[in-house]
Amino acid sequence: MKTPARITPLHLLVATIVAVAFVVVPLPTWSSGQSAPATDELVQRGAYLARAGDCLACHIAQQGKPFAGGLPFDVKVGTVYSTNITPDRETGIGLYSRDDFVKVMRKGVAKDGRRLYSAMPYPSFAKVSPEDLAALYAYFMQGVTPVRAPARRAHLSWPLGSRSLLAVWNALYFKKGEYAADPRQSDSWNRGAYLVQGLGHCGACHTPRGIAGQEKAGSERDGANYLAGAALDDWYATSLRGEAVTGLAAWSQDELVESLRSGRTARVAATGMMADVVAKSTQYLTDPDLMAIAEYLKSLPADDQDVKGSGDSRLQADADHAATRALKTGETGMRGSRIYLDNCCACHHSDGAGAQRIFPNLVRNESVNTKDPVSLIHLLLAGSAMPSTQTAPSAIAMPDFGWRLSDEDLADVLSFIRASWGNHAPAVKSEQVARVRKSLAKNERTLLRRDINGGSR
Amino acid sequence: MMVLVPAVSLAACVPRPALRTSTAPAVAHRYFTDEEWAFLNAACARLIPADENGPGAVELGVPEFIDREMNGAFGHAATWYMQGPFVSASPEFGYQSPLTPRAVYRAGFAAVDAHCRRMFGNKSFSGLPVATQDAVLADLESGALDFENVSGKIFFGFLLQNTKEGYLADPIHGGNKGMASWKMIGFPGARADFLDWVDRHGVRYPYGPVAISGERG
Amino acid sequence: MDDIRKPPVDAVLVGFGWTGAIMGMELTEAGLNVVALERGENRDTSPDFAYPRIADELTYGIRHELFQDLSRETLTIRHAPRDRAVPYRQFGSFMPGNGVGGGGVHWNGQHWRVLPEELRLKSHITERYGAGFIPDGMTIQDFGVSYEELEPCFDQFERVCGTSGKAGNLNGEQVAGGNPFEGPRSREFPLPPLADAYGATLFAAAAKNLGYHPFSEPASNASRAYTNPHGAQLGPCNFCGYCERFGCYKYAKASPQTTLLPVLLKRPNFELRAQANVVRINLDSSGKRATGVTYIDAQGRTVHQPAEIVVLCAYQLNNTRLLLQSGIGQPYDPGTGQGVVGRNYTYQMTGGVQVFFGKDKPMNPFIGSGAGGQVIDDFNGDHFDHAPLGFIGGGYIGVIQTGGRPIQQMSLPKGTPQWGSAWKQAIKDHYLYTVNIQTHGTIMSHRDNYLDLDPTYRDSYGQPLLRMTFDFKENDIRMTHFVTGKAKEIAEGMGGRSVEVKMKQFGDHYDTRIYQTTHNVGGAIMGEDPGSSVVNRYLQAWDAHNVFVMGSSVFPQNIGYNPLGLAGALTYWSAKAIRTAYLKTPGPLA
Repeated sequence: MKTPARITPLHLLVATIVAVAFVVVPLPTWSSGQSAPATDELVQRGAYLARAGDCLACHIAQQGKPFAGGLPFDVKVGTVYSTNITPDRETGIGLYSRDDFVKVMRKGVAKDGRRLYSAMPYPSFAKVSPEDLAALYAYFMQGVTPVRAPARRAHLSWPLGSRSLLAVWNALYFKKGEYAADPRQSDSWNRGAYLVQGLGHCGACHTPRGIAGQEKAGSERDGANYLAGAALDDWYATSLRGEAVTGLAAWSQDELVESLRSGRTARVAATGMMADVVAKSTQYLTDPDLMAIAEYLKSLPADDQDVKGSGDSRLQADADHAATRALKTGETGMRGSRIYLDNCCACHHSDGAGAQRIFPNLVRNESVNTKDPVSLIHLLLAGSAMPSTQTAPSAIAMPDFGWRLSDEDLADVLSFIRASWGNHAPAVKSEQVARVRKSLAKNERTLLRRDINGGSR
Repeated sequence: MMVLVPAVSLAACVPRPALRTSTAPAVAHRYFTDEEWAFLNAACARLIPADENGPGAVELGVPEFIDREMNGAFGHAATWYMQGPFVSASPEFGYQSPLTPRAVYRAGFAAVDAHCRRMFGNKSFSGLPVATQDAVLADLESGALDFENVSGKIFFGFLLQNTKEGYLADPIHGGNKGMASWKMIGFPGARADFLDWVDRHGVRYPYGPVAISGERG
Repeated sequence: MDDIRKPPVDAVLVGFGWTGAIMGMELTEAGLNVVALERGENRDTSPDFAYPRIADELTYGIRHELFQDLSRETLTIRHAPRDRAVPYRQFGSFMPGNGVGGGGVHWNGQHWRVLPEELRLKSHITERYGAGFIPDGMTIQDFGVSYEELEPCFDQFERVCGTSGKAGNLNGEQVAGGNPFEGPRSREFPLPPLADAYGATLFAAAAKNLGYHPFSEPASNASRAYTNPHGAQLGPCNFCGYCERFGCYKYAKASPQTTLLPVLLKRPNFELRAQANVVRINLDSSGKRATGVTYIDAQGRTVHQPAEIVVLCAYQLNNTRLLLQSGIGQPYDPGTGQGVVGRNYTYQMTGGVQVFFGKDKPMNPFIGSGAGGQVIDDFNGDHFDHAPLGFIGGGYIGVIQTGGRPIQQMSLPKGTPQWGSAWKQAIKDHYLYTVNIQTHGTIMSHRDNYLDLDPTYRDSYGQPLLRMTFDFKENDIRMTHFVTGKAKEIAEGMGGRSVEVKMKQFGDHYDTRIYQTTHNVGGAIMGEDPGSSVVNRYLQAWDAHNVFVMGSSVFPQNIGYNPLGLAGALTYWSAKAIRTAYLKTPGPLA
């Protein structure tokens, strides 16, 4: 898969620097003492944690070998590549001691002393417990097949790629320290918080970023910005807090678990980047861990700064709504309704409700109602697919419509959807569609079905 | 060339000034020659004419559709079994000719035009009055007009079938411009979604058609 | 160029449509390493059948995008052993599938079982009407397996497919609303019936008035969103009208892609190789045991795939041809009646009645599903007394509005000019206002109807084409006259302005130009006696115990229903025998 750069500061030089992705670590070849062989149990736990951390999302190239890196990241100042984290002694991390490993995970400092760009989410990984880091280390040293894959050199324009400024950034924004349990909360809640804030690094996408590209909050203690929804380049990661329509208020814990496990619920589906996360990471988490994550997320209150209107509790899915009536009777005088009829109605139906677990319900759907429509535009332009998971193997796909609909058509139909059946989100302008279309064409940052589901048909 | 023309069928078609002959629109054609193009346009105009029910095959771009088909898999019989030996068999066994459709068209146009020139004062098919054109087409259809190098019936069969295809297929293939034929008969095209209508019995479906391209009619 | 030799596997599947996918699921579940070889391309709902590009009548319906490429491989056809066969050069009467999913991609989803008496047809006819009732030359026989034995397999396949329908017989108890003539079901259909289009309801009302028993045709077009026992999902059918000849964009039609492949393709002990055209089953020196298969890959290379078990899952015609080419079983000789491979090829008999309505009754023909509609079974099987009628067999009658594709599905009254303003006026007048009643029935097997290898024509690999010798016999024309006659009586009660009957007449020959059904059966038939069948009741070849033959190749004569439900159930039946008995002690199954 091709992952969009996740950090997009636009204004300041320093911000641009930290927005750039991975470090390319030229490894010296001296030998250092290796730890004693770990138990199988430890290696297996490490494998589980590597999935919880979704390491593979970045550390594998298209058609590449697991953890051998080489995935390109097209960023504003050039191209960087993820690194080889297999235990190959020459090109991977085979010569890392456990301390080296802890240092790179917690501080973003490689064995040779060079600093990693913060797309490697070490601010999150800093929260991982020493025991879990030991297990991860055991897994990467003994559970992963070494692959000889020399690091690909980044192509960055100077001085934007300078690493010396990273130390400054770290001093300003990087909070040290492993996860400290909140004694007022349950063990399960704490387990969830630990996974969400730590290995899960959910905030990397779902927490808005500050001017220098830093996540505005690292946990619920930092206030309402935490997991409050954030714009990525051509996606919008929805809020994981308790807003009525744009957040998780309507979600039960069981639905959250089901979504993370299977990539779909009765109402909605994981698409775009989240489909990839489910496919590679969350579907493998145990039920207690998924329940813990759900418990923690459901404890996050609504962000009061969220768009008003969409939180109106009186709004109900209304089968007799004017939009449904119009679509069913042939009186589609409404702007966008005819486009809906010709493109969307076949699967999402005239009541906008789709079909259970297969065609997402558009009514009071947080992705539909979020203020920033970029994900919706992206989906319509490029299509997407649900992940094929162990419990839900069907990779149900939505086709692309970018070839069929103009910017005006897309804006009209999205505005129709966002104003129908009880949805109350702002209209979409054709300029917004044009911007995403241009960006997708330029960067080819389109998560295709085959990317999400492992490159095979 | 052997020409089998029963005199009776053409007796009424004494050459006279044309009532209305089709002139081929200036559309680029890649397979057909200019002469063939003129023939094709004239024939399409008779097979599905413009009339009070709406535009005909020419107006809907059917000649362009057929020209495109000639350069595609169909024209080349690319997915048909075309190995010999070729033997004649009773009609129930289907197509048994070694000629590809594009070859049939080429030979058919030449043979019919030669026939017309001989019979109708050196006029090619496209230059004939429509009534005469209709009579020639009817003789091809019935098998009354046949040729040494190509079967008149097979030629006519392709011509008629392809004309209907271009007239009724999705505009993405080059014909059925503006989905005019679909509007005339009431077919919604590529909408392919009737969940709300399957149990509404005796009610005419109200929406106009949509094309694969998204064009709305 | 040297041949390629692949590492041995436990089982190789030749062909990867419905029966290949079922067998692949069952054998990998048993822990076997399985390779499937499919001659066509790999295809999936996304992107190959995606909306709206799939809604293209010309590409898929007329130009046959998803079907077998006849330029590479076809068959020859003749009416009688004395005739010279000529190639089936372009599609007409039937259209075998090609590519992953096979015909399962572009079938209609008409998902029937079989009538219990049809599985023991010869015994049943003899018991009820006497052996003399079977005319000379008719070579019908029993399948060798009973409905009771197959019931769990029918049930399993319907659960996988999310079949929509209404039971008429639950464990021997009659249930209102279903087919009163069907064999007992152990449980209700997984999904309720599809909604009916207008024409189907008019048919049902008219049939009921005449005392018949209309019911919803069993449809593997999901009437609701559905998750099957493997976790694979189907969407609800929305009557899009692009079913037969098309892949389903809405995941609503059961196909290998929608029901099995999401699970099977991910199994580590399964491998699919597309564009692998099997040309031969290889035998060991005894000639009684297969060692694997040889295929030609996409680059034209010859590849040998050794395997412990060879399962033929290709189309009926290809299964028979592969046996003939590989020298498994004695080829059938119509002169002596000796030999078995190629014997009892049969087809199905279709007819119909068109009902033309006035403009006050728009039928919206484009509102279609592959299998939704109302049918009656009163004149199928042995649900009526054949004694005074003098034929064996029957068929179902119904209105299944599959779509209103304007090029191919335009119904016009007899005598309408084929072109000009009059034709144009006619399509305007009739397109929205016509209903078609179909009759779909048996053709009995006959001594003169069979398959062998053509002496003249070859495929693109230089192998002889299959040769079909087939024509309609009097028994089957009598059947269609009787059944289609009943359809006409119903049609006359539907409130139309006129009706027209279309059916074969005495003396009519098999016409390869007109689409009838892709329900070719026989050639490698099952039975209880090696002298009159190719495979035993477990679909295991009598002459090579590690070769199994799936699909409608094994039907000794045709049934009245569409054959896929039976072909699927027989595959589960055979797979169960392989899993529970053959793997423990490889050898002939008793």
